[in-house]
Amino acid sequence: MPDGKFSRRTILKASGIAAVSAFASPIRAAAPEPTAVTPALIEAARNEGKVVYYTSIDLPVAEPIAKAFEAKYPGIAVRVERTGAERVFQRIGQEYASNIHAVDVVNSSDAAHFIVWKRDGLLVPFVPEDVAKHYPAEQKDPDGLFAAFRASLSVIGYNTRLVKPENAPKSFADLLDPKWAGKIVKAHPGYSGTILTATYQMSRDIGWGFFEKLAKQRVMQVQSAADPPKKLGLGERAIMADGNEYVLFQIKEAGGPVEVVYPTEGTPLIVSPNAVFNAAPNPNAARLFQCFCFSPECQDLVVNRGGMRSFHAQIKDKPGRRPLSDIKLMKEDAAAVEKLSEEIKAHYTKIFRV
Amino acid sequence: MASVELRNLTKRYDTAAAVDNVSLHIDHGLLVCLLGPSGCGKTTTLRLIAGFVEPTAGEIVVGDRVVSSPGRTLPPEARKMSMIFQSYALWPHMTVTDNVAYGLTLRRLPRNEIARKVSTILATTKLSDLAARYPGELSGGQQQRVALARALIVDPETLLLDEPLSNLDANLREEMRFEVRRLHDEYRYTTVYVTHDQSEAMTTADLIAVMNAGRIEQLGPPEDIYARPRSEFVARFIGSSNIVKGKALDATHITVAGVPISCTGAGLAAGNAAAISIRQHEIHIAQAEPSGERHNVLPAVVVRNVFLGHTRDYMVEIGDGTQLRVVTSPEQNIMRGSNVWLRLPPERCRVLES
Amino acid sequence: MTLTLAVPAAPGRSTFRFDLSLPILLGFSVALCLLILLPLSWLVYYSLHDRAGGFTLANFAQLVTDPTFLDPLVTTLILAISSATICCLVAAPMGWLVARTDMPLRRTIRALVTASFVTPPFLGAVAWELLAAPNSGLLNKIFRAVTGAESDEYLFNIYSLPGLIFVISCYTFPYVFVLVANALDRIPGDLEDASSILGGGAWTTARRVTVPLALPAVLAGALIAFLQAMTLFGSPAILALPAGFHTMTTKIWSLFQYPPKPELAAAASLPLLVLTVALLRAEAFVLGRRSYAVVGGRQGDPRRVPLGRWKWVALGAAFLVLLNPVFLPYGALLNAAFSQVASEFVWFDNVTLHNIDFVFFELSATGLAFRNTLILCTSAATIGTVMAVVIAYITSRRVVAWHKALGFLATAPVAVPGIVLGVGLFLTYTRPPFVLYGTLWILLIAFITIALPAAYQQLQSAFRVVNPDLEEASRILGATRLGTLGRITAPLLRTSVIATWCFIFIGVIRELSAAIMLFTSETKVISVLIFDLNESGDLGAIAVLGIIMLVFTFAVVILINRIPGFGGVRLRNT
Repeated sequence: MPDGKFSRRTILKASGIAAVSAFASPIRAAAPEPTAVTPALIEAARNEGKVVYYTSIDLPVAEPIAKAFEAKYPGIAVRVERTGAERVFQRIGQEYASNIHAVDVVNSSDAAHFIVWKRDGLLVPFVPEDVAKHYPAEQKDPDGLFAAFRASLSVIGYNTRLVKPENAPKSFADLLDPKWAGKIVKAHPGYSGTILTATYQMSRDIGWGFFEKLAKQRVMQVQSAADPPKKLGLGERAIMADGNEYVLFQIKEAGGPVEVVYPTEGTPLIVSPNAVFNAAPNPNAARLFQCFCFSPECQDLVVNRGGMRSFHAQIKDKPGRRPLSDIKLMKEDAAAVEKLSEEIKAHYTKIFRV
Repeated sequence: MASVELRNLTKRYDTAAAVDNVSLHIDHGLLVCLLGPSGCGKTTTLRLIAGFVEPTAGEIVVGDRVVSSPGRTLPPEARKMSMIFQSYALWPHMTVTDNVAYGLTLRRLPRNEIARKVSTILATTKLSDLAARYPGELSGGQQQRVALARALIVDPETLLLDEPLSNLDANLREEMRFEVRRLHDEYRYTTVYVTHDQSEAMTTADLIAVMNAGRIEQLGPPEDIYARPRSEFVARFIGSSNIVKGKALDATHITVAGVPISCTGAGLAAGNAAAISIRQHEIHIAQAEPSGERHNVLPAVVVRNVFLGHTRDYMVEIGDGTQLRVVTSPEQNIMRGSNVWLRLPPERCRVLES
Repeated sequence: MTLTLAVPAAPGRSTFRFDLSLPILLGFSVALCLLILLPLSWLVYYSLHDRAGGFTLANFAQLVTDPTFLDPLVTTLILAISSATICCLVAAPMGWLVARTDMPLRRTIRALVTASFVTPPFLGAVAWELLAAPNSGLLNKIFRAVTGAESDEYLFNIYSLPGLIFVISCYTFPYVFVLVANALDRIPGDLEDASSILGGGAWTTARRVTVPLALPAVLAGALIAFLQAMTLFGSPAILALPAGFHTMTTKIWSLFQYPPKPELAAAASLPLLVLTVALLRAEAFVLGRRSYAVVGGRQGDPRRVPLGRWKWVALGAAFLVLLNPVFLPYGALLNAAFSQVASEFVWFDNVTLHNIDFVFFELSATGLAFRNTLILCTSAATIGTVMAVVIAYITSRRVVAWHKALGFLATAPVAVPGIVLGVGLFLTYTRPPFVLYGTLWILLIAFITIALPAAYQQLQSAFRVVNPDLEEASRILGATRLGTLGRITAPLLRTSVIATWCFIFIGVIRELSAAIMLFTSETKVISVLIFDLNESGDLGAIAVLGIIMLVFTFAVVILINRIPGFGGVRLRNT
């Protein structure tokens, strides 16, 4: 896979077997017919004039996507509502409980959320043409309610000015070395879906004992998975124990002194689907935006500007970034995250005291 | 022995002179009233004596010591003076006892002596029952007596009073006037008393200094000031005088509305404009045209007639349009509009300095 | 003899004219009760019930047994006591210097304290992250550059309890300063003169007269500082979480993470409420019957203590203090606004407008947040001022029998920390009959409630100065109560009314703790936007937004100071 394109096999390996992913929810009716972008849809969307996008993508990526959409479809404004995935989820829950339907399209780095929303019947079956044509079956909901908009990794990182490559940690176990005490930054699963997902995978694969020891390293605790890379970039901490690979890519490619480490135990994989809400206040603009999100144009932005991974068959990884196939990944399991989410957060709070 | 002497004392704020070249000698044990309307400079003079304000020019001598001169002013606390403020300036956080005892504690008297002196003065000022109260819990008259007790207990060489009675109601004020005089007769401090109330000044003072626009207009014993005002200002401010203007005929006569008036006082220069003052009750009013002696008789018309109980108050208009007030016994009742004849006794017509 | 007295027939028109004033005032009273009692009742109700709706004390049991609640409680107490102490130690002498000495640049110092007063504490916290984060903080960088220390050595660590105490003190000391300086301003010079003339030197007078008179203000200031530190949300959320500890406010907030535990949040809110009420009662008890109201008539001007050569030392010290809340943080924000990496010093070769471009042309929430903030500031300030005027009028003129209860209600929110109010309002207005969540109304209610006590007290004391005769003169000439209030009283209180409006306006701009509980995507305000940006570490964007917010705030302050006739409006706090 030299060009970085996903083969079906790597995808399966990467995202975990279909049986345990978010996309393996109980099978109902078949997905609806794919929708192409038609002048009628654009016109209807333009009449609505705006679309509200709740997302956990870091703003420097999310806003350019919004701007690209606005440039392509003038007259439709995108409002990006960015916060950590867990807060996105809580916010939507809170709003829906009060009958406030503000969100059109959602993206969350905690795939488990989609299981909940699907179960509660909040999502609308809608399949953009690109998803039908170019996305592997494992990365889309069989009922056509959502599909994997992006994927990213939660990685270890270090500041190259503060740590020499040969001294950099190679594994999660290396982080427990006393020399890193007070030098590690990490994000919080109570706010970040990426970190919740990663915390689940790591606790499953390497055990909670790792976190208990890590907590003794006097880690700096931030909220969003986008923040640890930025703290590395600032030079505030030398090492990040978890956080977004894509933000590290952005900083690194802008000349920042950061480097990515794929831990030897395996790297948590985070798949972030997109979906349109049933009660979307701007249903047509929402659908048009959903189509745009999965278009090669947008996926190219996601990959090249955003540093994330795409499941679109026509999109190639950016040269210089290690392809997923070369990375040992931890197995994704959205269903398990959904079941254990409260417990993981509670356990984490107990260990880290925040 | 503490006489107080002001020598060419001047205090300027910016360019306006609040006190303008004032000289005044107060022998030990005298009570001098600075009397004048608000803004005449009397309070500034008092504060200069107290040492709160430094003179722009001139000096203040207490006994044989210069206590104030430009650039060299003895601080108030070193002057062995005492002062009663218009606001009383009672300390709201101290009880009556604490307020009164303050000056003695600063003089480091033995505790039992302080207690004895305090209880004596509280008894004198009828405050014994209120000793434990806070000033906020006292009436105006009680507060005034606390202020008095606090000022007197330290046995000052000089006592300064700044409108001490102005916040009291009329009855209390009258009573306190005599009290101030009585205490002065008893203790014989050199006292400077500032007031705008002439009867207060008449009751209490050995000497009255009438002040106007930063200057002393006239200095003298109360009787003198009353009987022989030297200027129109003093005549108007003290007592209730009519000012009659005319032209000097010779050294002792002026002509008013064509009638020659013989008068007393300073010599007049023939041909100059001149003014005399005469008190309201000194003018005799007659309904019948006097026969024979026609000196100092002015025809007039009654404009107003008001019955005041123990007197009757007339407003009459003479030939040149000047209106004069005349006070008579209540029995003399003349209808409004009647023609009358006013007799101005020559010895009561006092020539004013121009 | 017959005595005939002709009684003129009363003109029919005016024999009975229905005065709407009383019903309207009544309406205000009822609205006030609803505003304050409703959320507090729901708070208590929730804290005493389990999720199924059954009565339980389990929430409180968990509160006192679970270390994840006890630790934040202890931390919060340490935080509040230390901040209050530091504030008094710094602000009281500074207030004295400004109010009672001949130190130069006194007005400037006052203005700068006002600047730190209007600086949102969360913005200050972000700025101090930029300055004193152990590794990337600018001050630590300078320290390492100067001393040649190792790359992991540092002078300051803002992510710590002392760091948090410091930052909170920076933005709390103005409360103490303003109270002390105002109290000293109001002590008439006569009281000190009286001490001098009786033989008290400058030092004795200060010790026995001036300081004791200012003491109640210091006490009140300490209390306010304590309550501020205890109830602040933004600064701990920004600094305590990275340091790995919770305060009560961040803990309450975290209880709204999915799945939300409102009953626990309600229970955790009540200790803050009880403590606040207890402290306010204690203050009244300590001050006792000594009426510090100055008695008597005309008062002299305050006398200034000449400092001689020491005045330059004093000025230096004052500037040194102001370095912390004003100069350094503003500098750091400016630096971050124009830098590519917030932790690097901007110079000509690396200056960038990227952050400004990002905030204005990329960040799609900017416009909405500014619009919402502006709407809320203006309407909360206007409605809040009107309410405060009416309530202060009712209580100071005893219009209704239960005016005392009304005055108590209007001051009650003082005892309700912002985050607690946020929880209460959330519980109240997400359910029928008043579903206001998701609208600006709920935020408006929150902001008015928070602003009411200070606004009310400010106007109440202003009313006390206005002689009731002035109003009675208007009523005898035929004006109704409300008419009189509008034509006579309010214009007389113009300065206080404007100051109150201004005060609420600025208070709303910087409010975060209630807003964070109540906003939705459509009702985001700038403070929440900044908080969200902090979550993902976008410090450059925060710096730009923060500077705009400050410029906006200062514009309001300066503008209102410049309007002829409104000169000298000073922000007062109670």
